[in-house]
Parts: sequence; structure tokens; C-alpha cells
Amino acid sequence: MGHTISEKILAKHAQKTSVVAGEVVVCDVDFAMVTDTRASNTIKMMNKLDRDALKFTKNTALVLDHYSPPPHPEAAEIHQKMRIFADQANTHLYDIGDGICHQVLPEGGHLTSGDLVVGTDTHSVTYGAFNAFGTGIEGSDVAAVMASGKLWFRVPESVLIHLQGELQPGVWAKDITLHLLGKYKAEGLNYKAIEYIGSAVSKMDIDDRMTLCNHAAELGAKAAILEADQKTFTWLEAHGAKTPSPVYADHDAVYAFKDQINVSLLAPQVARKHHVDDVVGTDQIDRQPIQFALIGTCTNGRLDDIRQAAHILQGKKLAKGVRMIVTPASRQIYLAALREGLIEILTSAGASFEAAGCGTCVGITNHLVPGNNETVISSANRNFKGRLSNDEADIWLGSAATVAASALTGFITDPRTVTGGTWRNA
Amino acid sequence: MNSILIQGKTFLLGEEVNTDINCSSKYLPGKDNAYVSTVAFEKLVPGFAKQIISQQGGIIVAGKNFGINSSREQAIQILHLMGVQCILAPSFGRQFFRNAINNGLPIIECDTAEINASDVLDIDLTLGTVRSSSGKEMSFLPLPQEILKIVEVGGLLNFITKHPDWNFSA
Repeated sequence: MGHTISEKILAKHAQKTSVVAGEVVVCDVDFAMVTDTRASNTIKMMNKLDRDALKFTKNTALVLDHYSPPPHPEAAEIHQKMRIFADQANTHLYDIGDGICHQVLPEGGHLTSGDLVVGTDTHSVTYGAFNAFGTGIEGSDVAAVMASGKLWFRVPESVLIHLQGELQPGVWAKDITLHLLGKYKAEGLNYKAIEYIGSAVSKMDIDDRMTLCNHAAELGAKAAILEADQKTFTWLEAHGAKTPSPVYADHDAVYAFKDQINVSLLAPQVARKHHVDDVVGTDQIDRQPIQFALIGTCTNGRLDDIRQAAHILQGKKLAKGVRMIVTPASRQIYLAALREGLIEILTSAGASFEAAGCGTCVGITNHLVPGNNETVISSANRNFKGRLSNDEADIWLGSAATVAASALTGFITDPRTVTGGTWRNA
Repeated sequence: MNSILIQGKTFLLGEEVNTDINCSSKYLPGKDNAYVSTVAFEKLVPGFAKQIISQQGGIIVAGKNFGINSSREQAIQILHLMGVQCILAPSFGRQFFRNAINNGLPIIECDTAEINASDVLDIDLTLGTVRSSSGKEMSFLPLPQEILKIVEVGGLLNFITKHPDWNFSA
């Protein structure tokens, strides 16, 4: 009987020849990440352990991203504790404005193909884009990893999703993930490890692959993982990662189920207000006005997302009454966008740039607060009522191209209908 | 391994219970666990926490996806303060499942449709059986031995303090 990528990564890290779904294994962890939303609990848990020698701290990063910049003294105090802890324990530290955890970990060369990576955030599934098993954990887990370098896992069932064909111009990985959310519903793949394969995945650049894996968190996935290829290896090498140990599924691997989707037929998708799984094509939306546009977050705040927006808004102005914020996923992305002239294009069009971080996504820094009865079109991953600190506002989700096209017209807009909306990096 | 037995009164909750919203201070900034433990699940069942506390604890029986979307470990600490001995539901949110095990709260994945509000339940975690005072008998796939070991010693930090080498057979 063959095995899936997830089973093989977990087996290798448990020093076993094979594992099966449902089995509990103790694995060596390659890298651990703690964000500022969970640091307080984690440090509390670490203190309970009362161990001086934390073996694993050199493979741990503390990331100050959610409360970035801190909106109140309590958050600033958590940040102070994190800096002190990082200094004393000798962990990596990414400070305010350095970027979102799921961007700075790969950029920092902290993970490679075949790795097992854990983080205190559900979107830790993003690392699957590099053929690593990435999954979300909490404070006790982190404390255990830092003390022992190991953690228990219940081996998930795997699901194989074959993405056939090729995304058409103006259609992006975000449109696939939204489509899948409409199909399987939020948390519909709870506990599962998703493997995405197929020509559409091979053709995607790394930025889009990260979106594909990242947004699987809303499906409830424990992991979302891709095969590694030359694009993966080139990217990892450029970012100083360790030598990859790519893992491929066996041809007779056992999956809970398999699905096939021909993405060549897919139109840009949006999730309507309040529900991430209430998904329709942009072509089916009839003049839905928007007042706020957000491009950013760990789902779609990468360079290709900012490029999509710049191609649409170059030489243009935002529609009357529309405000737009762009939050790059990291300082490196901000700098790259700066060097390409994208920041000038978008700022001239009327957008404002925020320092890299999660604040504009989770509504905890109060940097993006819509007014009553206003509608936000966002490239984020969640749109439940009140996500942006106002229960009386609506949030819709789409790709960066859809967000920019909508900011240009003032209505939810199919990016293929505006100039520049079908741009793709050659 | 010795049998782990639990007996307690049933307290019902519905499907898709989000513990970040209903059992944490995420939306009650500055409030401590002791306070949250007196108002938890209030929006879903008024008086829920006070009832369970006044009866010296009990067993929560819920619908599918208990703890969904929630990743706060704090929820389990609050459930302990309320005296919750165990939670039964057809399925749990992934991170909630981990957090419960890691903090020594037994949770059981089983069909809960047959359990009534007033039932007293006798549960054998090791054998995987539930007997209700209204005469229903149910079985469930017991949690793997390793997970029961972690639960038995009160959670992950206790476990690795006792077994720094992660030896489950010790």
C-alpha cells in the first residue's frame, strides 16, 4: 500500500517506515513559529515547564505581526516580553513591520521541501506550497516543541485535488480556493491534508501557490501540500533555505477521496458578505457598490498581488468615494514593490500603504474600520460579520485583481473587463 | 492500561459552537478566566455556565464541529474552571481537539443524537462505551493510547515533564 506526501513526511520525522491515517506519532519538528497573538500564552506555558535549556530555540521564530503596530499598551507589553524572550532564549525575532509570519518564514530561509513546520496560526498550512508539512498549533504545543524538539500528531487522512487545465488571464489561485470553499463549504475538509496536483499547479508561480495552500485553512485543512518542482527549488535556493528533501506521493497512495477540477473554465470568484463559502462568479454580481478595498494579508499580500493592482490602476484614480489600503505581506515585498515603481502607481491612484502585518485583516489594530452599511472588497481570507471591528459593515472576498478592478469602478468588478486586468507575469 | 471512567450529568449545546466567541476573553478584553467561566456559552444557552458550576460540573454534549474556527487554548482552561469533565460531539474543530488533549480534557468523537438533556452518563474512555441513565448504550472508537496517556496525566506539559523522551510505554 502506498502513501501520501503527508504520511511520508510524518513517517520520516517519526523515524518510522510508514504511518497510516488515524495513527498518533511523535515527530521531530524542523521549525516552530509563535505570533504575538499567542506569545503571551506560550511564554506562560514555557515558564510552567521551568526549563533553562530549551533545545529548540534556534529553530524557533517569534513574529510580531498581528498587533503591528500595537494598538494599546497591552499589545506593546506582549511585544516587549517577546523581544526579551527572544534575546534570552536566542530565538529568531521578526519585529513590527518585518512582515506576516507565513511570509517571513519562507523568505527567511527557515523551511524547505520535506520539512515539518508548526506555527501558532491556522494559516501555517501555507508552507505546503514548498512541499513542507505546515500546520497550526497552540501554546502547550510550542512549549513542548521548544523543550523537546518533538510534538505529537494524529496522522490526517489525505485528499487529492487534481487541478487540470490552466488559469485564464485575470483568474488566480484565490479564485480556485474560493471555488473550493463554495463546493466543500467552510471547514468542509476539517482534519484533512489536501494534496493539490495538476497542470494548473505546475504553471503557477510561487506567490499563487502560497495562496492556494494558505486559504485551505478556511476549508479546515490540517495541511495543504504541493509537489516540489524546479520553481520550488529555485525559490528556496534564492532565499537561503536548506537543501530540499522533496517528498512525492506513491502512485498507489490511499486518499479519503479524489476530485478533479478543470480550472480553465473558472471565472473570477467572490465570497459574498459574512460567509467565506457563499461563493459566486464576479460575472453574476449585478452592480454591488463598494466603499473600501484592501489588498494584503497572508493570503494575497505578495508581489504578484500588488502587481495585479498596479496594472489595473496605472494612470487611473480610485472611483469616487472609494478608499483603498495596500498592506504588503512583508518588508521584502514592500521593498520589491518600491523598486518596481508599484508603490508610486498605487499611491498616485489614491491607495494608501500600511506597514507589513496582519492588522488590516483581523481588525485588531483599527487601521481599517469601515463605516456602517459600507462594503469592503478584500483579498483576505475571512469575512465573517464584525471581522473589521464593525458589525454593520459587509466584507466580500476576491483576488487582488478583483479588488483593484472593483476599487477602480466602485462596484464588484470582474478584472477581465478592465484594462490591465488580465496581466500575468510572463 | 487502566480504564479511565467518567460519570456526570449532561449539559447540551448545539452544533458549530465557536469557543473563541463563547468561551474565551478574545471579545472580553481584560476579563480573566474566572470571570469568563461564569458567562461562557451565555449567548447560546442563557445561564449555561452558572448551571454547570452550581451542579459541581458535568459533561458537555454537543453537535458537530464543536470548537470550530477556534484555536484558543484558553477555552479549555475555562472549561476546567467550570468543572467540565468531558465533551462528547460527533466532530471537533482540529485545533480544539489538540488543545483539549494538551490540557487534559477528555473529548470523545461520537454520535450524540440519542443523548437527552437530563441523562447521567457513564463513560469508559479506554473501552469506548457510553451508558446513559435513560438506558441508551453507545460505543465509540477510543482515543489512541498515546492520547489517553497525555489526558491521563493532565496534559502535554505534565506529560513531557514526566517523560522528556516521549516514552508512551513507560
